Amino acid sequence: MAGDERSVRIGVLSMEHVHAGAYVPLLAAMPGVDLAGIWDADPSRASSAAAGAGTTGFDSVGALLREVDGVVITAPNAEHRALVEEAASAGVHVLCEKPLATTVDDARAIVDACERAGVLLMTAFPSRWNPALRSLRSTIEAGGLGDVVCMEGVNTGAMPDLHAAWFVDPARSGGGAVTDHVVHLADLYRWMLGAEVVEVYAVANRILQERFDRVETGGLVSLRFANGAFATIDCSWSKPRSYPTWGGLSIDAIGTGGAIRVDAFRQRLAVYGTREAGISWPAWGPDADRGMLEEFVAAVRDRRQPAVSGLDGLRAVEIVDAAYRSIAAGEPVRLAPASA
Amino acid sequence: MTGRLRVGVAGTGFIGETHLAAWTAEGIPAVVYDVDEARAAGLAARFGARPVTTLEALFDAVDVVDVCTPTHLHAGIAVAAARAGRHVVCEKPMARTLADAEAMVEAASAAGVRLLVGHVVRFFPEYVAARDAVLAGAIGDPAVLRLTRSSFRPRQPAGHWFFDHAKSGGIVLDLMIHDLDYARWVAGEVATVQCRSAGVERPEAGIDHAMAILTHESGAISHVSASWAYAPPTFHTAFEIAGSHGLIEHDSALTAPITPSLLSGTDAGGTTALADTSLNGDPFRLELAAFARSILDGTPTRTSARDALETLRVALAADESAHQGGRVVRLERTEAA
Repeated sequence: MAGDERSVRIGVLSMEHVHAGAYVPLLAAMPGVDLAGIWDADPSRASSAAAGAGTTGFDSVGALLREVDGVVITAPNAEHRALVEEAASAGVHVLCEKPLATTVDDARAIVDACERAGVLLMTAFPSRWNPALRSLRSTIEAGGLGDVVCMEGVNTGAMPDLHAAWFVDPARSGGGAVTDHVVHLADLYRWMLGAEVVEVYAVANRILQERFDRVETGGLVSLRFANGAFATIDCSWSKPRSYPTWGGLSIDAIGTGGAIRVDAFRQRLAVYGTREAGISWPAWGPDADRGMLEEFVAAVRDRRQPAVSGLDGLRAVEIVDAAYRSIAAGEPVRLAPASA
Repeated sequence: MTGRLRVGVAGTGFIGETHLAAWTAEGIPAVVYDVDEARAAGLAARFGARPVTTLEALFDAVDVVDVCTPTHLHAGIAVAAARAGRHVVCEKPMARTLADAEAMVEAASAAGVRLLVGHVVRFFPEYVAARDAVLAGAIGDPAVLRLTRSSFRPRQPAGHWFFDHAKSGGIVLDLMIHDLDYARWVAGEVATVQCRSAGVERPEAGIDHAMAILTHESGAISHVSASWAYAPPTFHTAFEIAGSHGLIEHDSALTAPITPSLLSGTDAGGTTALADTSLNGDPFRLELAAFARSILDGTPTRTSARDALETLRVALAADESAHQGGRVVRLERTEAA
């Protein structure tokens, strides 16, 4: 876009999600973006985050919404709906952290509110901007794997209570490892296969992380797609506190032409520090968050649909909901045909 | 001490040759049985063994019959050997059906002979070390296991028994059973199995990749995958055992001590690939030497016939699930196990 166009004004609603800590500096430094302010339920958290990013802290959601074209919502999962509805009624475009909501009803309400208000809604699935995963999708699209028959995915990590306590409070998070990690691979599979999920089987337990029992910490999911493909997800919070990085995401894609393995976070160093610092694996690969935020800003600037929609977020929530119903039933659960 | 045993290898295929090489290396004299005289003679000649073409001649010549025939023929030979008073070593899968496996257990019990099933993964050092770490409490209680075994479709001609589900049981009974057995060994008995297989759902695809989800009676859950979808000469194994306070990871791609890159090529062209075991001691030798010791002096082995029967029960349940579109199959275990 021409450099003389005014910047896109972006606000951040809530610093409670760990990803906000990554998004804020990216937005603050992004050309063509005016990071107009940060709101948080805790005013001191808003002002300290704002000070660090050279922007303004707000103690009123409405006041910030009056100053921006778009907002990034990084509140606890269960609080997304109220914030999205407020933003939509103020005519502000929305990038909402995943999972879009903790219930299908809330996710549906979020999509409807944005549609009614005529504002853009994007779900934060940054993995779609991971170059290794984009390469896999391109290869599949070009037929390089033949017909894709199945996929085996792993998205495991540390228990995120080390970032914020609400992640393991089911009233605010909606659930544990299944809520936290199934949506990424479910979305990537839908995106790569170009097909919807029609059946979900899932199992879960509460043994990991010192038998932490407020939410499920271990989970395995099997998905069937409308085109006949099938896929599995290990979504467990299986990385102990001693693990050198937060976790990872990998896919083994299996087709009639062979197999491709993608380890999305394989580009990392191994750093051995003092005994106290231990071992760490800092990533040096490309930052997918940047690509995702640039897409949201461009969609707001150009008034076009973003590459990931609210409907994509709703579909992922439907898959998570079906996974919980399957866990309860001990049987696979059919998903109703997509209604929108 | 093991020299007092005489072993007869029944079957001259891939695993028959592998076992014959191991017995020979252990200094245990072997007889090779195959109904096809040329095949028996051909393999026997390479290892200085004696070929026979009838079961009567085989039983007359040996103390132990090592059943390495196609899977669906295991039970007939094993039961006959037991009735002839011969100890039985049998390659996995123990049998093609549960009824066959039960008949084998009963025949061995009635005849007072040993029945030892070759779940060789229990002799692979990385798998043993990981289980030892679990038993030592390194990671607490097992919670989530992920076990992977990936190779290429066996390079056998169309019509080979391997590709006949009624004879081999397909990828689940042949390849996945290794890790189903290991999952049981580490996390205990299996309560439910759900499995999907590319070979079942897409038989025309020419590849196979099966993924099973197990729940264990302990509360642990396991993801087990077995693949014949990779390009030769791939043979890749990996596992992750996550427990209540720790995690064990293994990936054969990251632990190979020698990485050849020879201008003459690294694909030996074999019909089937095996893990590279050249540095740690051949697990097949370790297994068969342990079986020989056990037969001679009663040393306990890492797997009993009952144990192998339970693993077969899990594998058959996984195969049943795969053939029913991923239905959840509940295991009904016999109390004796």
